[in-house]
Amino acid sequence: MNLFLLYLLLFKAVITSFSGMASLPVVRHDFVVTRHVLTDRQLNAAIVAGQTGPGPNGLYLVSVGYFAAGLPGAFAGLIALITPAFLIIPLMSWIGKYANIPRIRGAIRAVILASAGLLMAASIPLARDAATGPVAIAIFIAGFLVLVFTRIATWWVMVGAAVVGLGVKLLS
Amino acid sequence: MPAPTLRRLTGVFFRIGNTTFGGGLPTIAALQRELVEQHEWLSPEDYALAFSLARITPGTNVIAFCAAAGARIMGLRGALAGVLAETAPSAVLAVLMTQGYETWRTNAWVMAGVGGTIAAVAAMMWASIWYLVRPYLKSGANAFRAVAITLGAFAAVWKFGLGPVTVIGIAVVVGLLWKEPE
Repeated sequence: MNLFLLYLLLFKAVITSFSGMASLPVVRHDFVVTRHVLTDRQLNAAIVAGQTGPGPNGLYLVSVGYFAAGLPGAFAGLIALITPAFLIIPLMSWIGKYANIPRIRGAIRAVILASAGLLMAASIPLARDAATGPVAIAIFIAGFLVLVFTRIATWWVMVGAAVVGLGVKLLS
Repeated sequence: MPAPTLRRLTGVFFRIGNTTFGGGLPTIAALQRELVEQHEWLSPEDYALAFSLARITPGTNVIAFCAAAGARIMGLRGALAGVLAETAPSAVLAVLMTQGYETWRTNAWVMAGVGGTIAAVAAMMWASIWYLVRPYLKSGANAFRAVAITLGAFAAVWKFGLGPVTVIGIAVVVGLLWKEPE
């Protein structure tokens, strides 16, 4: 598949969506239904590969690009994924000019607090999924205490948790 | 606190972006802890601005957040560093996973490591909630406003099924109308 066309199709899917997976209907329509570049099975594989690893949700577009045109296609998928993000820079600089006005500052702080509420709502199902047994619950509690009461970097907590998961697997 | 350099900034986005499972919000929560709490490179106000505008920027929210946070700290090169460090290594991993996804999904060792990390991600999100709310709990009147807005946002999603963009929109209106106590 032509790389520029691939980029444009994936870019169109990203620019018309407002979250990582919201581009999926457009991608399926263009790549599976209209152009037959991918099968539904390949699209599912792309989603699984993009979702299961670390990194942003929209990474499945890199896998879609890979299925459509190999490694150059994966690169086109990555560029299409990140291009619209840079729109935030002029937006931020324009709104940032007004950030010291008391009412605007109050609104920004309200957004900080609302983001805590949003995190709370997103955390409950994640905590339920994570609590698969006593070890996972122990990692959860220990991780929370370390993160709140120490300045140990988050990355070390992640690595430690992975090591504990592997250690328990080794012992069982 | 060490001053931000392009190398240090790239290192933070690289570490967080490529070791945090679970999507955008856990990654933003981890970045908030590193950039705002630990390194103090980003003020809570700039974090809030980046967080809220990332929600209304087309595409993947966390990538827009990285662009905004990177730009706020080190300008356009910070934005480029943030976005590329966050996405490129994971994209390579996604390609590798695409090539062999049937194999690793059934690998018990890989899944054991991932399982431990997911529990830590859940803990990190709760720690992040605490970090976000804690500065506003110092005085009684401010604490009441803070708790009301936080729990109101939570209830709006959890009980009434509103989307994050709507909740942030409502928070902006509430923040404009409900003045912060002096």
